[in-house]
Amino acid sequence: MMCVLLVEDDRDLRALLRTTLEVEGLAVHTAASLVEAQALIRHTPVDLVLLDLGLPDGDGQTLLDELRQRRNTPVLIISAQPSDARKIALLDAGADDYLSKPFSVAELLARMRVALRHRGTTLRPAITRYTHEGLDIDLSLREVMVRGQKVHLTPTEYKLLARLVRNAGQVVTHRALLADVWGPDCIEHTHYLRLYMGQLRAKLEREPAEPRFLLTEPGVGYRLADPIHMRS
Amino acid sequence: MRISLHRFLTLLGTLACLALAQGIAQALDPRVDLANLAMIFVLASTLVAFWLPAWASALFALTSVALFNWSFVPPRGSFQVDLSQHALLLGTLLTVCLTVSLLMARLRREASLAARRAREAEQIQQLGDVLRAAQHPQAMTESLDQALGALPSQGTALMLLNNELPITDDPLAAQWQGVVLSPAEQIGLWLCLRDNRAFGAGTGLHSELPAWYLPIRGPQAAWGAALFRLDPLKNPDPDLQRHAQMLCDLLGQALHRHHLERRTAEARAEAEAQKLRSALLAAISHDFRTPLASILGAASSLASQSERLSDNQRRTWLDQIQDETRALTAMADNTLQLVRLEAGQLALRLDWESLEELVGAVLARVRQRDPQRRIRARLEPSLPLIRVDAPLFIQLLENLLDNALKYSPADAGPVDLVVRVAEDTLLLAVKDRGPGIPVADRARIFDMFQRGQGRSACRGSGLGLAVCRAIAQAHGGSLSVRMRGHGGSSFELRLSLQQAPDMLTPAEDVEVSP
Repeated sequence: MMCVLLVEDDRDLRALLRTTLEVEGLAVHTAASLVEAQALIRHTPVDLVLLDLGLPDGDGQTLLDELRQRRNTPVLIISAQPSDARKIALLDAGADDYLSKPFSVAELLARMRVALRHRGTTLRPAITRYTHEGLDIDLSLREVMVRGQKVHLTPTEYKLLARLVRNAGQVVTHRALLADVWGPDCIEHTHYLRLYMGQLRAKLEREPAEPRFLLTEPGVGYRLADPIHMRS
Repeated sequence: MRISLHRFLTLLGTLACLALAQGIAQALDPRVDLANLAMIFVLASTLVAFWLPAWASALFALTSVALFNWSFVPPRGSFQVDLSQHALLLGTLLTVCLTVSLLMARLRREASLAARRAREAEQIQQLGDVLRAAQHPQAMTESLDQALGALPSQGTALMLLNNELPITDDPLAAQWQGVVLSPAEQIGLWLCLRDNRAFGAGTGLHSELPAWYLPIRGPQAAWGAALFRLDPLKNPDPDLQRHAQMLCDLLGQALHRHHLERRTAEARAEAEAQKLRSALLAAISHDFRTPLASILGAASSLASQSERLSDNQRRTWLDQIQDETRALTAMADNTLQLVRLEAGQLALRLDWESLEELVGAVLARVRQRDPQRRIRARLEPSLPLIRVDAPLFIQLLENLLDNALKYSPADAGPVDLVVRVAEDTLLLAVKDRGPGIPVADRARIFDMFQRGQGRSACRGSGLGLAVCRAIAQAHGGSLSVRMRGHGGSSFELRLSLQQAPDMLTPAEDVEVSP
């Protein structure tokens, strides 16, 4: 059974989340403080961590940092409205995703699914195939199809899209995209991203102003919509 | 007594003039008679009275009469006078010479006094003008420093309190300006400040000091003190002291005025903040309670009457709880953002953003409240990038769209979102076909806690548009409302565009048309 560690100091929210996760068939350990969570994680195998930041005895990010030194267990941050700068810092520190309170259970479960898919307990090869609502991307063949039609992408457009496919469903920060696609010298040039994302949307989206694949996380980065089918 | 160089030179000049008059008289002696020779001396003493001080011209008059008597009045070479013949001449000569020189000296003194008064009046006026125009106490102090520096002194210095009068004479509690002070002078300035009284040479108080210590007087207490070093060899000039004191008092009054103005501004800001706080409290107590009431109503109904409700009813209550929670979240965001914006605490995180993306992100959020898809986005192709704080811009746009959906009935027609560029300005308009806004309300709708009248069915905190305007202004833009031709309103955001940075397109990326 998949095992989730829930670190949340609010009693009611903890109880509610625990129940909903158990209904989904997950085993849930709960911790109400940083110390408790640190003790639990040392002795219990955990497949995913739901981590609140504002804990009575410290910042949840401490746990994230400790965890990342040894393991790549997926970590989802649940927090009362972190600033964009904080979100980016958390993602850089190795968090898989974040949810601002209040959030719906459906959202939480969807994010958990994505996080587990990318960094499950078993190591999987990187995702190379993305299929979602008429968009078909095959990285092994370097092929992009929209509703059965092959689409021509420039090399940079393709590199950008491929970077998002490898993290499909997860938010990728501006810096990460700029560093991986344009190189580490370009991490400040967000306007490159804006233009190339615009070009990609024009080629792939039916309505570029209301994208269904290439989603914007304002102030943070981009997310390729969570696909229904994904193969590795 | 030491005779100063100036006096010595004056004396020499006097003697030289005397010698000159004597020379001329001797040259003319064989040709003119005694009475005419006397006129040479009258002329000479009149002329020297133009330049020499009173004592010197009086001395000149006396000496010249004696010399005339000795040299020309018979018997020559003696002071003997033939009373019947020459006493009248000599007496008249002496009286005329003395009178002329003394009158001339008085005239000159009065003329120089008048000129000095005029200079002083002008300086006072100038300082007053500068002080009125100055915004900061520092600038005011500097202008007084300059004014005092223009007066004849052996150096001046100023000490101005930073805030309250300290208990001990702490040099850090005051600003210092002007010459470097001796410890005794510093103590003197503190004493002057604390007593709010002038002292020093010629003041009758600590007259032994070779300087004046002048308080910079305000209506209640002194704001500081000025040191005015004097030449110990000269007698202190009471007129100069009065003038310097007047200059100091001008600064004192200016500082007092500045202090009052600052206090008034602070009180006003405090009152504004208080108003904002009470308005927010009112919003929280009233507008937040309404959605909370419907959440509690729906939840408690589900808790106690669940078996008796139809599936449909239960579904409705559950949806209501979710919807109201989202509305509450938006209101909390707006409240928080507005407080931050109003307090000026929010540092914008500006970046180059694509309008298409921003609109896309907003639509993704607003569509949940727009099941009939009434919002139609029409974006001009190839819009330029804009430099904005993305989350704030999205909040602005979301509030405008929510407002349009809320205040125009579902059957009233679409809500249009139009984005286009006119010259170097971006125009973003949200247009609805609702009832519009009465003229009387148009100016007020951007104020806090103002809502369209007579539409109790619509809920909201009345913060949305206030936040929108604050965000637009924080970006240097403007937000206005216009009534549309066939009914409805159009909310229009104008933002001036900046030149986006250049971009190098990699050669491999250049699209080759087939």
